[in-house]
Amino acid sequence: MTEEDAIFDPSLVKKKKKKKTTFDIDAVLAEGDSQETSSPVTVQETDPDNNAADGIDLDNDLDLENFGKKKRKKKKTGFNLDDLDAALPTATDEVVQGESEFVLDDESGAIDDTFDLGMKKKKKKKTEITELLKDNKENEELENVEDNAITWAGSDRDYTYDELLHRVFDIISEKNPDMAAGRKPKFVMRPPQVLRVGTKKTSFANFTEICKTLHRQPKHLLDFLLAELGTSGSVDGNSQLIIKGRFQPKQIENVLRRYIKEYVTCHTCRSPETILQKDTRIFFLQCESCGSRCSVASIKSGFQAVTSKRAAMRAKTA
Amino acid sequence: MSIQNLNTFDPFADAVGSANEDVQDGLVHIRIQQRNGRKTLTTVQGLSSNYDLKKIVRTCKKEFACNGTVIEHPEYGEVLQLQGDQRENICQFLTKTGLVKQDQLKVHGF
Repeated sequence: MTEEDAIFDPSLVKKKKKKKTTFDIDAVLAEGDSQETSSPVTVQETDPDNNAADGIDLDNDLDLENFGKKKRKKKKTGFNLDDLDAALPTATDEVVQGESEFVLDDESGAIDDTFDLGMKKKKKKKTEITELLKDNKENEELENVEDNAITWAGSDRDYTYDELLHRVFDIISEKNPDMAAGRKPKFVMRPPQVLRVGTKKTSFANFTEICKTLHRQPKHLLDFLLAELGTSGSVDGNSQLIIKGRFQPKQIENVLRRYIKEYVTCHTCRSPETILQKDTRIFFLQCESCGSRCSVASIKSGFQAVTSKRAAMRAKTA
Repeated sequence: MSIQNLNTFDPFADAVGSANEDVQDGLVHIRIQQRNGRKTLTTVQGLSSNYDLKKIVRTCKKEFACNGTVIEHPEYGEVLQLQGDQRENICQFLTKTGLVKQDQLKVHGF
């Protein structure tokens, strides 16, 4: 029996250990996956000017972006191929395509920081449109400005769908250049800078900056963060937030995303240009772009379990 | 002839009761709290008091191989408390057993 026991015990222990480790990894992976899927695969702003600025930012933000990059690139190439097929097969066209490709790749980092989770689909469509637009515009500027207009002007033949589509988009972009389908100023957010302070505290360095970009009271965001993370914390003299407990940048980013989804983006049109008003103890989210107004849940921290030493607490109160 | 006010049947009470059958205030909050070191606590708040929380905790403890208790709170009622990060486990468990629907769960924390 003793021998058996001796044989059995270590194996059992090992098994247990193995189980534990695999489990942890799974959990972490699952988290990572959820993040990956939630990180927006958005492509916007085909402005090369902005990209220069964004590119600089990119260097700081690389940590967050590593996940989605590959996927995005693949998708983009797919895009461009489609566009190639769709667009006129001229040599200039291809050059233009190449340019846009570069631009998009550059952007892939900056895009991550935009926070709209739900907007993926719409944006994709938009970008397709913008790419088409761009192609058309440049094409026409280069060679056949009158071509499209004239192709069917003199003749009696039926105009094709493509021609009409191009015409419509040209007109749209001419009439309102700043709107031009998806050229809206996109909400590009800096990722939270999260540092460890000592072993038990975490500092959220650009907390007030983020509050400013979101147009929210620091107190409101602070309340939300602390309630979600179930800890305590405060803003210190250097306008950084000190949270009790260890947190990874990714975790903070997750919570921020949730905050933005709930309290910043308009629930109807998803635009981030909103104001949070307080009316008789209830918070209302007023959208600046579509004018909708809806109430949002108040922040409650809910049940908090006792995590500190009970003896210490008793000593404090007594 | 009956006087309506003396009827035992209270229409409002019934409506409230049926709406709150599963959950107290519509949502079951699942939270995580950090303890010292790598340790964490998972709390489940808002489960209906119609259920025997002690039994739920007993099965949870077996299933997730963790310890746990039911805590009485004056404001939030009975709260499940489990050791470790059991957010995923408890979500799956609650939906699988049909205690709570997926859209009534609200997971907090990072």
